[in-house]
Amino acid sequence: MSVFDSTSRSYVPAPTGHWLVAIAGYSVLIDKRAIQRNALLSVALLAISVLSLGMGTLSLAPYDVLLALLGKGDSMTQFVINELRLNRLLAGIFTGAAFSVAGCLMQTVARNRLATPGIIGIDNAAMAFAVASVVGVGVSFAPSAMALTGAATATALAFMIGGGSGTRGYRFIVAGLAIGSVSAAVSQLLLTQVHIDVANEAYPWTVGSLSGRPEEQIPVMGLITLIGVLSGLVLCYRFQLMAFSDSVITALGHTPNRLRFAAVVIAIVLTGFAVALAGPVGLVALVGPEMARAFARHKGLPLLSSAICGAIVMVLADLAGRTLFSPIEIPVGVITAIVGGPFLLWILIRKPKRSTL
Amino acid sequence: MPFLVQFFQRAPSQRPLSVCFTLICLILLTCILLSLLIGAGSVNISQSWQALIGQGTEEATFIIRELRFPRTLVALVVGMALGIAGALMQAVARNPLAEPGLLGVSAGASFAVAIALLLGASAATLAAGVAQIGALIGCFFVMAAARLQGQFKDPVRLILAGAALSSLLTALTSILLMYDQRAADEIRFWVTGSVAGRALDHLMAVMPYFVIAALLTLYVARPLASMALGEKVALGLGHNPRTIRYLVMLSVALLAGSATAIAGPIMFVGLVVPFAARALVGPDIRRTMIMCLPIGPLMIISADILTRIIAQPTEMPLGVLTAIIGAPVLMMIVRAKRLPTLA
Repeated sequence: MSVFDSTSRSYVPAPTGHWLVAIAGYSVLIDKRAIQRNALLSVALLAISVLSLGMGTLSLAPYDVLLALLGKGDSMTQFVINELRLNRLLAGIFTGAAFSVAGCLMQTVARNRLATPGIIGIDNAAMAFAVASVVGVGVSFAPSAMALTGAATATALAFMIGGGSGTRGYRFIVAGLAIGSVSAAVSQLLLTQVHIDVANEAYPWTVGSLSGRPEEQIPVMGLITLIGVLSGLVLCYRFQLMAFSDSVITALGHTPNRLRFAAVVIAIVLTGFAVALAGPVGLVALVGPEMARAFARHKGLPLLSSAICGAIVMVLADLAGRTLFSPIEIPVGVITAIVGGPFLLWILIRKPKRSTL
Repeated sequence: MPFLVQFFQRAPSQRPLSVCFTLICLILLTCILLSLLIGAGSVNISQSWQALIGQGTEEATFIIRELRFPRTLVALVVGMALGIAGALMQAVARNPLAEPGLLGVSAGASFAVAIALLLGASAATLAAGVAQIGALIGCFFVMAAARLQGQFKDPVRLILAGAALSSLLTALTSILLMYDQRAADEIRFWVTGSVAGRALDHLMAVMPYFVIAALLTLYVARPLASMALGEKVALGLGHNPRTIRYLVMLSVALLAGSATAIAGPIMFVGLVVPFAARALVGPDIRRTMIMCLPIGPLMIISADILTRIIAQPTEMPLGVLTAIIGAPVLMMIVRAKRLPTLA
């Protein structure tokens, strides 16, 4: 299936495995394998979501879950699914996708796949600022705005101290590690200064949790994730140029710094809002893109698959936290740390095959 | 002070050790005095002074004897232990960023302590041995992970591995704590790191370990200095690098584990103190370690004094303050023109 604009262009066959879509002088190549893999991943995400909706103190068959989602079935089931579990699931999907896409973008910018927002301290800084807003005012005065400020501050600091992301990727990472640990210390400090009840209430959130998140924030998060992922996808073809050296990017007619800036801004916005909602679940940003790369195996930047994989990881981790140790609920941040810690170690120990990315 | 100017114009490795040592010790003594005099509570400096020379009110005497004195002593010992542990670890890893706190040693100790609490130990009778075993495991794990890849000398990889291990262990610890509210309550005050409210018994309980570690350190100092010239040189001089490395790790685990058991995880001290010592007297491990002895307590005691002043009338956790001091030093080391390798 190829759509050609035959009036303005001569016939150029699409490379094998691609569709060439050309409209009004603009054309894109669509990787068939990417479409296929992303469709598979989406189906997997859907299946896991339905499963996750069905599991819990009240166990439900997938069929009942689907019925309840369509507004049928008995009112009890409908209440449990639509009022209690759906919000949590959506929060998981949105934040997972946001973290993962942000991770993928930061990895691309730093040309180093260890440079995810969680590791370079963006999460912790966003958390510290959000905690400050919660603790300082007593009511949650726009934690998301504060988290965004925190994320931006941390990134700016990491770039400043690390001397740019360029060839000294590692320096950038260590600067980020330091910023992260200071921010974590500040969060702790803030929590010790408030009443113990407030601190206890904020605690699960500071390690990352999807439980009892404010309902009205979830559609906002959805919108932000959608905008972030879409703008990432639109710019995807340019972002993947960042794998080349700056001179190549310039020769191809783009401004390297502008590309970096765009990618970092998208990453900051996604991370900031996700942290404000779910806390610093940063290791999703490491695991998601890695899974996407292993599974999607198509050329270029696996942004869409990263988003889906991130959502899958988040939903699975939350499911594990809810059900494995019930009646105790383990915050999702703890589960991802248990999975992500060894994963990070494995990345560090494993012999690098070709490039660092 | 032409003498001092002349002194600091010399290259660090040319400065006489005795002068450096005396200088820092004088500053340390001042800090100890201040630590006894300054507090977050109602007893002010002059009252404390009266109590110190034996003419104070009963309340002031009590506060000084029972609260500030043990606290200062604990800070002194913990500072020495963490400083030396940092210097040893950096020498054996040949990596200026290797720090017990960053490498998962503290997280390992915390995890072990959480298990002990869960199994019924109370924080008061807490066996330091448990923390040391945890520290040892954490330590060996990171070093093994770093060696596997032959990345022993890659400074950043090592601390990333440490960060990964720390986050894993911290997560496991928090799961353990969710099972047990009592353990969670006991550990919450311990986990931010503090030297306040530690009785002298706690200190006495871990003293034997410090003595063993000190003897071990004395034994490995010379071989370690020769290992700085390269493993082959060390072999040629009749030392077995592998044995030395294990002994050093054991000593680090004893020091950092015991320190963590008393004072909780205090990050970055093992990074800042040897860094300052090297800046003062140069890279020789023996000179560095001798300087770490007064600089370690100096850092902890002065940070401890600050925690009492900053957030009056309450106190700020010590671990938070050392992180705020230490992180910029970490950045400074990394921002240096080239990552110095401790060859």
